[in-house]
Amino acid sequence: MEELKWFAVDFFQAVTAGLLVGGTYGLMCVGLGIIFGVMRVVNFAQGDFMMLGMYITYYLVTGFGVLAFLGPYAGPVVGAALAGPVVFAIGWLLHRYLLARITGARVISAEAEGHYTQIIMTLGVALVLANGGLILFGSTPLSVQTPMSRESWEVWLIFFNQARTVAFVLAILFAVGLYLFLTKSDLGKMLRAAADNPIAAAYVGIDVDRSHRFAFGLGVGITAVAGGLLASTQSFQPYIGFDFVIVMYAGVVLGGMGSILGAFWGGLTIGLVQQVSTLVLPYQLQNTAIFVIFLLIIFFRPQGMFGRVWERA
Amino acid sequence: MSDVSLDVDEGQFVAVVGPNGAGKTTLFKTISGVVTPIVGEIVYKGQDLLKVPPNERAQLGIAHVPEGRQVFASMTVKENLEMGSSTRKSRARRAELLKTVLELFPILAERRDQLAGTLSGGEQQMLAIGRGLASAPDLLMLDEPSMGLAPTIVDAIFDRIEFIHRHHGVTILLVEQRVAEALELCDRGYVLETGRMVLEGSHDTLISNTRVKHAYLGM
Amino acid sequence: MGRSDKAKQYFAIFAFAGVYLLIGWFVRNSYYQLMMTLVLIWATVGISWNMLSGYSGMISFGHAAFFGLGGYTMTIAFVTFGITPWIGIPLGVVVGVIAGIIIGLPTFRLRGHYFALSMLAYPLAMLYVFEWMGYQEVSLPMKREAPTLYAQFNDQRTYMALALVLLVICMIISLHVERSRFGRSLLAIKQNEAAASAAGINPLRWKMLAMMLSAAIGAAAGGLYAIVLLVVTPQTMFGALVSAQALIMALFGGVGVFWGPVIGAAVLVPLAETLHAELGSVIPGIQGVVYGIAIIVIILLAPEGIYWRIREWLARPATLIKRPVSWAPAAANAASVVPIAESRTQTAPADGPLLHLQAVRRTFGGLRAVDDVTLDIKPGTIHGIIGPNGAGKTTLFNVINGFLAADSGNITFAGTKLTGLKPHDVCRHGIGRTFQVVRAFPRMTVLENVVIGAFVGSTSNAEAARLAMTALDRVGLADEQADAIAGGLTTKQLRLMELARALAPGPRLLLLDETLAGLGHDALEDVLRIIRQINRDGVTIAIIEHTMHAMVKLVDRFSVLDHGKLIADGAPADVVKDRNVIEAYLGRKWMERAHDSVA
Repeated sequence: MEELKWFAVDFFQAVTAGLLVGGTYGLMCVGLGIIFGVMRVVNFAQGDFMMLGMYITYYLVTGFGVLAFLGPYAGPVVGAALAGPVVFAIGWLLHRYLLARITGARVISAEAEGHYTQIIMTLGVALVLANGGLILFGSTPLSVQTPMSRESWEVWLIFFNQARTVAFVLAILFAVGLYLFLTKSDLGKMLRAAADNPIAAAYVGIDVDRSHRFAFGLGVGITAVAGGLLASTQSFQPYIGFDFVIVMYAGVVLGGMGSILGAFWGGLTIGLVQQVSTLVLPYQLQNTAIFVIFLLIIFFRPQGMFGRVWERA
Repeated sequence: MSDVSLDVDEGQFVAVVGPNGAGKTTLFKTISGVVTPIVGEIVYKGQDLLKVPPNERAQLGIAHVPEGRQVFASMTVKENLEMGSSTRKSRARRAELLKTVLELFPILAERRDQLAGTLSGGEQQMLAIGRGLASAPDLLMLDEPSMGLAPTIVDAIFDRIEFIHRHHGVTILLVEQRVAEALELCDRGYVLETGRMVLEGSHDTLISNTRVKHAYLGM
Repeated sequence: MGRSDKAKQYFAIFAFAGVYLLIGWFVRNSYYQLMMTLVLIWATVGISWNMLSGYSGMISFGHAAFFGLGGYTMTIAFVTFGITPWIGIPLGVVVGVIAGIIIGLPTFRLRGHYFALSMLAYPLAMLYVFEWMGYQEVSLPMKREAPTLYAQFNDQRTYMALALVLLVICMIISLHVERSRFGRSLLAIKQNEAAASAAGINPLRWKMLAMMLSAAIGAAAGGLYAIVLLVVTPQTMFGALVSAQALIMALFGGVGVFWGPVIGAAVLVPLAETLHAELGSVIPGIQGVVYGIAIIVIILLAPEGIYWRIREWLARPATLIKRPVSWAPAAANAASVVPIAESRTQTAPADGPLLHLQAVRRTFGGLRAVDDVTLDIKPGTIHGIIGPNGAGKTTLFNVINGFLAADSGNITFAGTKLTGLKPHDVCRHGIGRTFQVVRAFPRMTVLENVVIGAFVGSTSNAEAARLAMTALDRVGLADEQADAIAGGLTTKQLRLMELARALAPGPRLLLLDETLAGLGHDALEDVLRIIRQINRDGVTIAIIEHTMHAMVKLVDRFSVLDHGKLIADGAPADVVKDRNVIEAYLGRKWMERAHDSVA
């Protein structure tokens, strides 16, 4: 009986940890979801943009101490938020000068050939970013230490790591903000229109290429913010992007490619799976559990939870 | 398409008819800018249209209601119309324009918050036309509005199109395979066959022309 | 022509090997010797990638899986069981092939980016598993007492020679694959899988074969790599960089041709290794950056790889680059070719219809694209299927053909049930298909396009070529046009080519989907004439067209569809006057007017 009680506690602890980290994963997946939903581009470098977000936050808060004046509580938050626009700009430029040459309204009608060049180009970008990061930042794992990183609130025997909880709340706020932007603002609606039907969008006067560029910047920027939030909860090194690519895709595919809301739920679920799997699996294999889920979804329900059934798999 | 010439005067209703594969949609795509002609010119309100990029053409007052309707399926009726009025000119007058469109198509007003993808074919066609009108266009181009719709619905749609032309004075360029309706409503018409203009004339001359009959029924 | 080309390639391969060996002999510095060996190994890995992804277009980001499995099998066999690498490597190959089958079976059901993403997951999962199992770093023990027995050599050049042997074997295998029916089928699948299916090619079978071969080569390379480096870690065997390198060797050097990975490896490996050696301590990760930039540059400038770009520059400016020369007989032999075997076009059992559709239904969402259609196509006739746009005509063909499954109803062809069969099986039963938008294999010649169709009706390549020439002759495309690249043809030529491809295996029924669309008056008459002749030769034809006027002169019988329903079925003269038909096409007002003017 006692054992059962402790198992239950362990289980709920894992669920809590899963939800908390899942919030950030959800935000991360939303970023990828925007890119895939709007542009139908498989972006391999998404994880590396997240990595950039982490490092930018680090340097703003700890490294160069630019935000030190904000104090140890607000600093990391603002740092994560600022990583967004910086990475947005990088993504915008990348799309303008590299990706746009092989993606865009033209490719919508192209056969498989056009498709694979996009994926491969982003693989090249991923390699450059990850290894470039190695060169610039070095290989020592870093993290953004805040007074909350190691503190936890205790509620009924369950520990809520403070940094993770704050990250969770902020992730939800950012996601809601993004949702409002996409549904209520004119620019957001135009993005959705360009995603829904690029041909019709061009006919009503929407600059589809520019929409794609904006969506790309937005997508990588959001993921970078998520990374910035994660930066205060775990350590990272330049290659962390590769680990997260599958995690993100698993989340987006689970939620349904093309659904932003789905991407968030998908990311949340993946976070849950990851943490709950540690109850039965050794620590090193937690990502393997995600891969297995990912493969299962792709095989049995490729449209995910919220995706449209006629999404071509 | 080769050697295709046509004129649309302000306030006119011009129809282009012809069998499948005749080049009608290509014609529209050239005007909208999706396709670039090898030779020739397109002049719109005195301006060389070929110098203008596709999405800018909508800003100039050309509304293209595409073949197959192409509504924004994941957005509501209202949002579709809002997107229709996203050109610089029309954005300022959005509320007024939307009101006009909804009066023109009451069923759209009813289904204002419904997702466009769930509408019936006829309703989607009305939405597509409404979306085109929402930009307060000088030229409204309609590409096969009857396609895939049941005859009674087609009648209703053409009825509205005629109303739009008469009441609001919108210049209309219509492409259709349904010869009867198109020639019935137009002021001037053109017949396209395998990429060439084979016939042109006023409403009266075309209505009784035997070549038109031959093209469609092998009679 | 084909045989001498193969001889030329063999010569080139051995010349390359000879020169390489010679250079290697004179290199004394063991570091450069190692580099030369690595170039060969990575070229082999590139060939492995090409075998699956280059030839068939299924882009894989997970070849590290096979590489790593090969390497680890050999290592574990050696370290734990004392088995010599001479046996360990072949063992690794077997493991690789099994892994290829296990991975391929489920993953091939996926398309495009889903496939690539899944392939990414496999080696990553393996990486985690191996790390967890404790194989952080495994060194191969030195066996001083019998080094040769354990494939350990003092002289690095021996390893180079071994790697060269492996590479040459793989190059020869690739050469044969490229020139064979296997390779052609893969190419067809890559350029247009739907068309390949309809022409009788079973995509899954060929992809699986490619996967197995690819896995075998990758595993062998992995095993060799392990012996050369003597240390294996999960990161170096299963890491993302390995998969990326597999891809980029082929991508950079040339996709779909075995010289590609060789060129790619010869350029990139020394570059990356040198930079790593010179600057690695100052700029760690320089290798990854180099590969990343190489990928970006090549995708922008020469997306198919250097090999093809060079060939384009060397070829005459007017011609599009041609794929490996076809092994078909020269056009001059067309006259001596025997007409199509009569047995294939014999009519169905006595009176019954050749194709019978019974209450066939197919819906999409709420839309009834094909709504309880029942019709017969009698043998030896030309049967027209017409209706306004969106009536469901192409959907009907897609259901007959196997691209779509019928929701309910039956389809029988000469007594055999067709419902539920895949397109290539439907083709095998004797039904050929052309498409509304021509589905050519754009990078192949006209002849090569048609030969693809002939495979299903022939056992040997020579026979396939003969059938193809005959088919081309029947549609009037022989001689000058046979060697033209499909991508540059006119509409009429494309339609005739597709017709020939469908005709090549000698089908009993041809499904022609708007074959006359987009044709000018004269071209139209030509094509009509050809279709009539094909029919007179005994082939039953079902033809979809939009307008009546051309078809009235052609067909024996009309079926008219509107909104998925059959609204008229009968002789042309009757159908044309049918009220429902006129209304469907031209509207009530026209009918009233027509009635007035006729009366």
